[in-house]
Amino acid sequence: MIKTCDVAIIGAGPAGANAGIMAASQGCRTIIIDEQAKAGGQIWRAKSAAIKSAPNTPETIDGDRLRASIDASNVTHIANARVWQIERELEKWVLRLIINGRSEKIVSKVLILATGAREYVQPTPGWTLPGVIGLAGATALIKQDLVIPGKKIVVSGTGPLIFYVASEIRRLGGEVSAIVTPNSPVDWMYAIPSMFSRPELLWRGFVWVADLLLSGTPIFWRNVIKQIDGETKVQSVTVSKVNNDWSPLDQKRLIEADSVCIGYGLQAATETSQLSGIDLKHQPELGGWVPEVWENGETAIDGLFVCGDGTGIRGAAAAEIHGKLVGLSAAEIITSNVNFPRSALLTSFRRASRFGMAMTALSIPRKGLQKLTTDKTIMCRCESLRRCDIEHQMEAGAATINAIKSGSRAGMGPCGGKYCQTAIAKLIAEKEHRTEAEIIPPTPRPPLRPVPASELSGEFEYTDLPIPKPAPL
Amino acid sequence: MTSAYDLAIVGGGIMGCSTALRLAENNMKTIVLDQGDLGQGASGVNAGTLSLQIKRVKLMPYALKGHREWEAMGEAVGFKKTGGYTLAFTEHEAELLHERQALKANAGAPIKFVSNNALRAAEQNLSHKILAASYCSEDGYANSSLTGQYYRVRLKQNEVEYREQCCVTLITRNNSCFELITTLGNIQAKRLLLSAGAWLKPIAAYLGVDLPVRARINTVSVTERMPHLLSSIVGHATGLLTIKQKTNGTILIGGGWQGRGTPEEGRGNVSANTLLPNLSLAQHVLPELANARVTRSWVGFEANVPDFYPLAGALPGIDNAFVLGCVRGGYTIGPYIGRLMGDFILGQEPELPLFDPGREFNEV
Amino acid sequence: MMRLIPNHTSQIKRAKEISFRFDGQTIKAHQGETILVALMGNGIKHLRDAPVDVKPRGAFCCIGLCQECVVKVDGQLVESCRKIATDGLVVQSLRQ
Ligand SMILES: Cc1cc2nc3c(=O)[nH]c(=O)nc-3n(C[C@H](O)[C@H](O)[C@H](O)COP(=O)(O)OP(=O)(O)OC[C@H]3O[C@@H](n4cnc5c(N)ncnc54)[C@H](O)[C@@H]3O)c2cc1C
Ligand code: FES
Repeated sequence: MIKTCDVAIIGAGPAGANAGIMAASQGCRTIIIDEQAKAGGQIWRAKSAAIKSAPNTPETIDGDRLRASIDASNVTHIANARVWQIERELEKWVLRLIINGRSEKIVSKVLILATGAREYVQPTPGWTLPGVIGLAGATALIKQDLVIPGKKIVVSGTGPLIFYVASEIRRLGGEVSAIVTPNSPVDWMYAIPSMFSRPELLWRGFVWVADLLLSGTPIFWRNVIKQIDGETKVQSVTVSKVNNDWSPLDQKRLIEADSVCIGYGLQAATETSQLSGIDLKHQPELGGWVPEVWENGETAIDGLFVCGDGTGIRGAAAAEIHGKLVGLSAAEIITSNVNFPRSALLTSFRRASRFGMAMTALSIPRKGLQKLTTDKTIMCRCESLRRCDIEHQMEAGAATINAIKSGSRAGMGPCGGKYCQTAIAKLIAEKEHRTEAEIIPPTPRPPLRPVPASELSGEFEYTDLPIPKPAPL
Repeated sequence: MTSAYDLAIVGGGIMGCSTALRLAENNMKTIVLDQGDLGQGASGVNAGTLSLQIKRVKLMPYALKGHREWEAMGEAVGFKKTGGYTLAFTEHEAELLHERQALKANAGAPIKFVSNNALRAAEQNLSHKILAASYCSEDGYANSSLTGQYYRVRLKQNEVEYREQCCVTLITRNNSCFELITTLGNIQAKRLLLSAGAWLKPIAAYLGVDLPVRARINTVSVTERMPHLLSSIVGHATGLLTIKQKTNGTILIGGGWQGRGTPEEGRGNVSANTLLPNLSLAQHVLPELANARVTRSWVGFEANVPDFYPLAGALPGIDNAFVLGCVRGGYTIGPYIGRLMGDFILGQEPELPLFDPGREFNEV
Repeated sequence: MMRLIPNHTSQIKRAKEISFRFDGQTIKAHQGETILVALMGNGIKHLRDAPVDVKPRGAFCCIGLCQECVVKVDGQLVESCRKIATDGLVVQSLRQ
């Protein structure tokens, strides 16, 4: 089955959904594709069918509002669909996706990438133990199935997400053994002025922290998890104070736990951008590598736009507005009568960005955090490669992520390098006294997700295969 | 500025690096330059099939010698001599198989035809729809991902300089010297070897030579680790499929299905239009592949000239300049033909003849 | 103890129970939840052993990216964090 449309959007989070609604409102035939069962993205991830009813939260309210506006629009939302390849063919975009176990094709004039963010976790001894999950992963469990990962949970990392997760764990009846963050109260003090633009969020954050304090949950400021202990499951975590660049100090404290939620900030998910041919640039204040995109979402490639956190981490509120702006830019390619005032949107986008980027600034790992990764710590989870294995490659002359990947398989496993490439880039930068901006990300390869060969090929007859003429003898 | 080198090699693929190693044995002061990482081109992304059954008849002596080189390189390049089957599914393919493999056997490859029973006894998981099969005990594979790292180590051991991320953007000649303008500064050399694979044409053009080099855009895919399914490497009578299961369980699928792009524009792109039939064909041959998840597909540029024979010899009209490339099955033959090239540059008679880059090229 | 964040557990209504097999063990699940969530609810976190060092692993990203949570269903590796558990499903871990 081949579907055609004017505007195809990958990602139905705040950015993609709003881009779609906006483009459709301007008369474009619009399709939004997302691998989740419902629209909402990570922030407004919908409850699964296993939840018959549950109290609302600000996230469910915003998410339901978004889902209702999609329903009310002319947008075609294709759910449970995973895009695995993006190609440019005869001036059109061709997306290949897996729906219900079959590979299908969508052809569009304009493509908007709205694939959001992914989490950075600094490799730490014990981080591969069952029971250790990403902070972002914890939010997914919480939002989708209203479950929490354990009974005694340590929540650790940077920025505001730790307080959100800890407070949600409490709302779902769980016990937070401790909160561990390298941020200091002073870091937060500096961030507060930029938060006044979103007083409701500032207030919510205040309630989270106040509740945690009232409940007696220990908050270890200026601390990190130095090690997660256990043989086959999490038993405890070793926590240590950090100095100003977040290098862990020697003194240690043991906290009992059966699970850990850990994360050190978000990064733009750039795979779709790379696969579509957009160059990346390194912007630490936006979380690291981001695609080259103008504020209106345009890229150097015809008919290709990017919006939301996929352009750099500015947060959900900014993503929502950015989606609208980029939806308008995209619609302009399709029709000449786009009619929507943009200046108010731009102003609010910039304001929301300031808030989002203040949160990003709190979350960005500082240099010393790299010291958490010891010689024997696994860096590439898929291939169980330790820091010493990666360093061994470097000593033998590999000086790029691609060269290390070729020599060691770091990043060749099923995750495609999503959970090791940044840490390896940081390691190369440190060892070679270069900046992270000089360590070019590895070449992207399709499929964007692992796909069973049978789903790619579908049913076929041998005699129908277009086998080319054999090479010369 | 660096003092003059005896030889500058443009292109750190298997051709350039293997030639450099031969020259190092004779104390030539050599430098290898690559625009990216060593082995980032065809030599590092190919399917790694070392099969005599897919070699051109005329290149068979070179491939046989090449196999000896790979055996010697061994574990460091992931070499495995597994033996290989080539399969036919239709009458037409069976004819093609018999005709072609007989000629290759004549040329010295230990290829024989095997019965279905023998095949099934050796490889239980292959399709039951096979009509005819040939077998070559010499066949195997190496892990092309290791090419770059292998040559980095070998070049260092042999005190050959190399520079990565060093793109040659112009070559001029003054007096008895070549001057190479690169992104990492200028380099002077008395002799020059162009071994820039699919990028040969623009580089030869710096010296006013027009080489009729074109590129094929070959696709390779790999699955995640699978239980043991296959011991030998497996190919298709048309040459349009290669399958092998690596020791780590991943399955590599090649066959030269064409992707998109040009060497000038970058790394090229996979095209679903050819990837999907490539994967279908692979599943036809090895049905259990249906359950395997494909984790990565990529393309690489394989250079050729209209007659599909190598460019290996003096660059026409330019003294002290040489070219090596466009070798079909070049991964297999590379380590050996590089050695021959080295001898030629040293003024020695190579063991087997080279392929004059100044010849007339007829399209095949 | 005073709390500003209410405990909502008693207000959450889940779908009817189903069950599936995991390495021969019967696992109760709510219809519509993922295999991962059901296993977590039964205290099972160790889903596979890593291929190289054979060390225990379990879900990490919970959103279908990291591939740490893969299990086998019908001969096919699937992400347990995305695959919905259905009644009678037979699931195999990749523990060795
Ligand atoms: C996908 C694929 C599958 C294949 N499968 C097989 C197989 O299974 N078995 C087999 O025997 N053969 C196979 N081949 C063929 C084999 O890989 C090639 O014949 C061989 O590797 C060519 O080596 P090379 O050194 O000539 O080219 P390359 O390896 O491409 O090396 C050329 C180098 O030149 C560099 N360069 C280019 N321009 C510049 C510049 N201006 N300045 C500096 N450096 C520059 C490039 O970066 C590159 O590293 C395959 C080829 C491909 C593409
Ligand atoms: S937990 Fe990462 S893919 Fe399921």
